[in-house]
Amino acid sequence: MHILVVEDDAVLADGLSRVLGGHGMAVEVVGNGTQADLLLQRAVTAEVVVLDIGLPGMDGFEVVRRLRARGSAVPVLLLTARDAIEDRVRGLEQGADDYLVKPFATAELVARVKALARRNTPKPAGLALGDLSLDLAAKRARVGDKVIELSVREWAVLEYLLQHAARVVSKQQIIDAILPWGDDLTLNAVEVYISRLRLKIADAGVAIRTIRGFGYVLELAT
Amino acid sequence: MSGSIRLRLLRWVIPPVLLMNLLAGALAYMLAPPPLREVVLRTLVLLEIVFALGCVGLVWFSVSNGLRPLSRLRSELNAREGDDLAPIAAAEVPYELEPVVSAFNGLLAKVGEGAQARQDFLANVAHQLRTPLAGLKTQLEWLGARHTEPDTAKSVGLMLSATERMIRQTNQLLALARAEPHHFEKTRLEPLALDALVADAVQSFVDQARLKNIDIGFDLAPATVVGDRFLLRDLIDNLIDNAIRYTPPHGAVTVSVRPKLLIVEDNGPGIPLARREQVFNRYVRLDDKTHGSGLGLAIVRDIAVVHGARLTISDPPDGSGALFTVKFS
Repeated sequence: MHILVVEDDAVLADGLSRVLGGHGMAVEVVGNGTQADLLLQRAVTAEVVVLDIGLPGMDGFEVVRRLRARGSAVPVLLLTARDAIEDRVRGLEQGADDYLVKPFATAELVARVKALARRNTPKPAGLALGDLSLDLAAKRARVGDKVIELSVREWAVLEYLLQHAARVVSKQQIIDAILPWGDDLTLNAVEVYISRLRLKIADAGVAIRTIRGFGYVLELAT
Repeated sequence: MSGSIRLRLLRWVIPPVLLMNLLAGALAYMLAPPPLREVVLRTLVLLEIVFALGCVGLVWFSVSNGLRPLSRLRSELNAREGDDLAPIAAAEVPYELEPVVSAFNGLLAKVGEGAQARQDFLANVAHQLRTPLAGLKTQLEWLGARHTEPDTAKSVGLMLSATERMIRQTNQLLALARAEPHHFEKTRLEPLALDALVADAVQSFVDQARLKNIDIGFDLAPATVVGDRFLLRDLIDNLIDNAIRYTPPHGAVTVSVRPKLLIVEDNGPGIPLARREQVFNRYVRLDDKTHGSGLGLAIVRDIAVVHGARLTISDPPDGSGALFTVKFS
């Protein structure tokens, strides 16, 4: 995956390129808005652009405005040192897809970049965490080599949790995500599916943690 | 020039009056026929005493009466909050006091400009710090994710936690500058779902609680309030951050939203009655061992004030801990 990082702070730019590089991405760094604009004019090979707002030469707003004016749809993640509402709104209005306020957790940055890249690529064939894996085409769940039997709704809940691994998801989000399979679902029903799933994936080295009164997190068991 | 206005007036009024009366008395005494002189003298002395007392009374009364607008001004100024630098309304004071009031308003304006410049400077510095802090954090997280030997890993971990503290304090300085009453913009007010504002921030609270082994729970009912999205988010963040910070490991924190209410309950050490007012002051910390700038609850208070919300601390229903309630109007 090719990522273009436009950031004038040398320490941060180097850190971004190390972190993203560590996740198997090919990172190109530019430290100037005008240069970034020229580069993006010639050929957009990047799958995601990570763009700082406060840049020498041409600011990030202008870079993204020109990019969109040329009809490019490459996903742009804005980095901003200011969290004023004007900046956020303006960035998204100019055509940015997402923004992060500095300083951010690198895990958050990687997750957002991957999410943006995923928009433009076909669905993955499978999802996995620990010893648990889902074959999305065959609709088959495995713990290690062993196939486990899941009902349609249990599958939907598990797929949603795995798509959002390590993130807190609310019971309502789960209901909304699996609604096509069930038009009428109560919060209690979600609890029932979760407790069944817990039994079925008990040996997978993953755990579904309850966030009291809110929802769940699927994570590696500790 | 100091001293009492009343005494100064008396010093100027009484001697001439006495002198005039003495001269008039001496004249009357000499002109009166000799058998009546003693009666005239007695009467004059009595009149003199009554007259002098009357003068003192009159001076006392008029000065007190004249000073009444001043004492009203004093009690108004005493009732002000420390950061209320609004000018005194010149229309409500007597003509004679106007120069004093306008001089005072000039001073208030200068102090206000100073405070504004200080806040702007603070916000600017905090913004400037964010990029280098982001660089530092990114580099350290990269280093920490590699399998280094234990000593190095420990050192990286310590640097990372110091960086996190700097980041937190930088963000608090910004929130504080934003929550200043004279920065508050009424135009930004909009109806907001309080429960959704809390739900949006759940991930960071869960991560933070997990690091301290604290059981965090939520009880969110739909609730709409009118407010500033970013300020309310700061309020929620700081209130919950405070609860997690002061609750010992294996404790519990529960966040509830009800119509017009935000309630954060913890089963930590609680706050003694006598200190409940104090904790909302800037730079106050109950426990010096806990890291923090002491700004969190001051930010919460400032934001509650500009939203016209009431902020109270009480005991949780089941005894130990603290229960913070923000009641929106």
